[in-house]
Amino acid sequence: MWPRSYRAGLPNTRSSLDEESACLCIPEARAWHEPDRLMTLIGDLREILGPDRVLSEPLERYLYGTDGGMARGEVIVVVLPETAGEVSDVVKAAKRHASPIVARGAGTGLAGGAAPAVPSVVVSLTNMKTIEIDLGNRTAWVGPGVINLDLSKLTRSSGFHFAPDPSSQSACTIGGNVANNSGGPHCLAEGTTTSHVLAVEIVTADGEVVLLGGPAPDPIGLDLRSVVVGSEGLLGIITRTLVKLTPNPLDVRTILAGFATMEDAVATSSGIVARGVVPAALEIMDQKMTRAVENFVGAGFPIDAAAILLAEVAGHPAAVEAEARLVEQVANENHVTSLRVAADEVERAKLWLGRKSAFGAVAQLAPDYYLHDTVVPRTQLVATMQKIYEIAERHGVLMLNVFHAGDGNLHPLVAFDASVEGQLDIVHAAMEEVARVCIEAGGALSGEHGIGLEKRDLMPLLYSEADLDAQARLREAFDPDGLFNPQKVLPAGSRCADLGRPIPAGAWL
Amino acid sequence: MGWVTEHAPTGAEVNACVRCGLCLPECPTFRLTGKESFSPRGRLMAMSAVADGVVEVDESFAGIMDSCLQCRACEVVCPSLVPFGRAMEGARAELAAQMPSRTRTARHLLVGRVLGSPGLLRMATLAVKVGQKTRVVRVLPSLLRSGFAGIRPVKPVAAQPGSTYRALGQRIGRAGFVTGCVMDVWFSDVHAASIAMLQRAGYDVVVPATQTCCGALAAHDGDVKDTHRLAERNVVAFANVDVVAVDSAGCGAHLKDYKHWAGQAGELFSKRVFDITELIDQAITSGRIPKSSVDRGPVAIQDPCHLRHVQRIVDAPRNILRAAGYSPVEIDPDGRCCGAAGMYSLLQPELSHQLGAAKADQVRQSHANVVASANPGCEMQLRSHLGKGYEIVHPVELLWRAVQEDDR
Repeated sequence: MWPRSYRAGLPNTRSSLDEESACLCIPEARAWHEPDRLMTLIGDLREILGPDRVLSEPLERYLYGTDGGMARGEVIVVVLPETAGEVSDVVKAAKRHASPIVARGAGTGLAGGAAPAVPSVVVSLTNMKTIEIDLGNRTAWVGPGVINLDLSKLTRSSGFHFAPDPSSQSACTIGGNVANNSGGPHCLAEGTTTSHVLAVEIVTADGEVVLLGGPAPDPIGLDLRSVVVGSEGLLGIITRTLVKLTPNPLDVRTILAGFATMEDAVATSSGIVARGVVPAALEIMDQKMTRAVENFVGAGFPIDAAAILLAEVAGHPAAVEAEARLVEQVANENHVTSLRVAADEVERAKLWLGRKSAFGAVAQLAPDYYLHDTVVPRTQLVATMQKIYEIAERHGVLMLNVFHAGDGNLHPLVAFDASVEGQLDIVHAAMEEVARVCIEAGGALSGEHGIGLEKRDLMPLLYSEADLDAQARLREAFDPDGLFNPQKVLPAGSRCADLGRPIPAGAWL
Repeated sequence: MGWVTEHAPTGAEVNACVRCGLCLPECPTFRLTGKESFSPRGRLMAMSAVADGVVEVDESFAGIMDSCLQCRACEVVCPSLVPFGRAMEGARAELAAQMPSRTRTARHLLVGRVLGSPGLLRMATLAVKVGQKTRVVRVLPSLLRSGFAGIRPVKPVAAQPGSTYRALGQRIGRAGFVTGCVMDVWFSDVHAASIAMLQRAGYDVVVPATQTCCGALAAHDGDVKDTHRLAERNVVAFANVDVVAVDSAGCGAHLKDYKHWAGQAGELFSKRVFDITELIDQAITSGRIPKSSVDRGPVAIQDPCHLRHVQRIVDAPRNILRAAGYSPVEIDPDGRCCGAAGMYSLLQPELSHQLGAAKADQVRQSHANVVASANPGCEMQLRSHLGKGYEIVHPVELLWRAVQEDDR
C-alpha cells in the first residue's frame, strides 16, 4: 500500500515545481498513490534484486529523501544494485513504469543533488565497491560506491593516493565525486576530479551500459567522458570509473598562521600564489568557524585570530623547504600574529581533521546551515569577503567563512534555526545577494558542490538563456525523457526554444 | 503519538545532526549493509521523524534502532558533537515503553533482574559450570554454542565482597573495586590481577558488599527503571572511596555516565570512576609500578569500543603491555566493533557474527597468538571466533603475570 504521504517540502526552492514539467520534458508527478502501479514497480524491482535490496518501508524511504543539503523530496522506493547489469535492469524497469530515477552515493552532497525533486526511484550505489588497482599504469577501476579515502588508504603503502580530497572524503563516494566534479583543499595544485578521471562507465536512460573515454589519455572521438564528469546524475548512472592514482609527495609541511584581520590572511594567500608558488593547499577559516572547529578537534588552532590560514607545501624536500620559507615570509609581510609548523604527522592530521570537519562543526552554533560554493578571482577576494560580511550584517544573520583561498572557492555559510518562522526567507534573501556579489566580481556559482536543487534557480544569474538552452539540449541528447534526476541543475524554462534551432553563438557549454 | 517518556531523545540531541555523513564510514553496520537505515545518520533521522510526527514508534522504527551496536564510533568523528549514545538510549527507552512485547520482557528480566541479583546469577553460573563440565554444549543450537565457547572456565570469586586488600608500598588512596555482574564469577582471574596491581599501585582496595550491576545493559536496552535503581545503589555503595576502579570497559563507560541516571550525586560519582588501565598506566608513568626488561613477544591489541570510543582511552592498555615487556601489535587502525556489543550477539546474531569473523581475521593476520582486550564481552566474542590456539586476556592480567615472573 502507498503509505501516508510524507512532507515532500523543499525548503530551498521557492518556485513551484508543478509549473515546470511542461518545459523540461520531465514526466509529470505521476499518481504513485495508485497501489497497483506502485506494487508492480516494486514487484519488478524485487524480481531483479531480491527482496533485501529493495527498500519500500515508509521510514526507510524517508531516510533517502535528503542528503547533506536542506532539500527533502519523496522517494518511491530505494534499490541497492551491485553490478552494472543490475543498474541497467533497474533503469529499464523504472523507465517502463515512467518513474524518474535519482542516483545516490553516500548522500554527503550539499546542494540537494540526491534529494528527489519529484517522486523518484532512488538508486543507492553504496554497495558497488569493487576496486582494481593497476600500479603499472597508476590507475584504478573503482565502483561508484567506493569511499574516496578508502581508495587512498588502500594505495598508501604502494606510495599513491587519489588526489581529489573533498572535506567529506572520509565518507563521500567516488561516484559522487565524479558526478559533482568534486574538489577539495589539495585540488589547488592537483586539479579537481575531472583531471583524475580517464574513463567513466555509465548506464544510459535506455539501460545501455556504455564506456566513455578509456585508458589512453586522449581517446579518439568526442570527449564524452568530460561531459559526464560533473553532470550531477542528469546524463546517466555511473557504474565504474577509471581514475588516476597520484604519487604521494616525498615531503610535506603544513603551516598554520593566524592573522588579526581577514584581509591579512587573504593577502597572504594571494601573495604566495603571486610569487609563483602554488602550494598543495591554501585554506582560510574565519574566527567563528575556527572556534567551532577547535572545540571539536582540539588541534591548537589560534582562536583569538580573526582568520587563520592553513598552508601546505609538498614535493621534493628541497622545494618544500624553499616554499615553506616563502610562505612564512609572505605571512610576515602581512602581519601574521601566530605561526606554527605541524611537528609531525599526528599534528598535521589533526589540523586537517579540523579543517575538514568545519561544516559539521557549525551545528554547535545552530541546528541548520545554508552555504554557497561560489568562486571569485583571487584579486577580488578581499573586496568580496567585505561585501559578504556587510550583507550578513544588514540581514542580521550569523555568517561564517571557510574557503579554498588558493583558488578563490568560497563557502560563505549562514548558521540558523529553520524552525524559527521567517528565518529561512531571510537566509535565502541574504544568500542570493551573496551569490550576486560573487558573480558580479567575475566569479562562478559553484566550485565543487554542484548546482543540484538548491542552487538551480540561481543559474540565470550566471548563464544567459542561450547558455541554458544549450545545456538543456545536451541533457536531452543523453536523456530525452528526463528520467535521470529531473528538475535539477537547469531551472524551469531552460529549454523553451524549438528543437531544430542551432546552438546560438557564444553559448557557454 | 511521538515520544512518551522523559528519557526520549531531545530535540537538541537529534537536531545537533546536520547530516554531513562523516559518521557513515565509521559505523560497522553501515559498512556491512550500505543502508542508510543501518547508519547513525539514518537512526537520528528516524528519531527526528518520530519527534516531528512523520512516523510512529513501530516495528519499522524498532528494527532501525535494534541494529545499532551502540559502539559509539560515530561520536568520535562527529564534528557536530551529537550525543548519539544518549539519544540511542533514549530511543530504546521509548521502545521499551511503547512496545513492551514478549521478547522485550524476557530481555528486561535478564538485564534488569538476573544481572543485578547475585542469587539468580549464581544459578546461571551453575548452569554454565555444569555445561562446561558435561560438554553439553555440543548439543546446543549453533548460536548458543558460539556464545558458550567464549566463556572462560568458571573459577571461585576473586574479589570477596566486604574485604579490603592493603596497599603495598606507599599508600596513595582508597580504591573501590567494581566487581560487576558477569566479571565477578566468569572472569575472576581478571579481578585477581586488577586487585593485585592496584595494591602495587598504592591503593587500599575495598570491595563494597552493597554494590550491584552497573546497569549498562539495562540502559542500552531502554530499561529505565532498573537503570535508575542500579545506579542509585552504586552511588551509595561507593560513597567512601577516593577512586572507583573498574576492569570492564563497558561497565566503566556506563559508570562514567551516571549523571543521566543518578543526578548530581551520579555526576560526582562519575568523576571518581577510572578504568583499571588508566590507574595502572598512571602508576607506571609515576614509577610506582616498575617496567619489565624482559622481552615477552608480540600481543595483538583489541580496543573495546567503550574504552576507545566512549572513554577515549587508547594509549593506556598499550603502555601497560609495553611495561610488561610485550610489543603491542595493532590489528585495526579504525577500531571497529568486534560485534559483541553487550546483548547484541544474542539479538542480532548475523551482523554480530560477520563483525566477529572480521575481527578474528585481523587477529590472525597479526601473527600474534595472544590478544589483549579490556572488556569481557569482546573477550568472549574473540574467543568464540578465534577458536583454539589463541589466548585472550585482559592487559592487566599480562602485567600481573610479568610482575610475578620478574619477582621470582
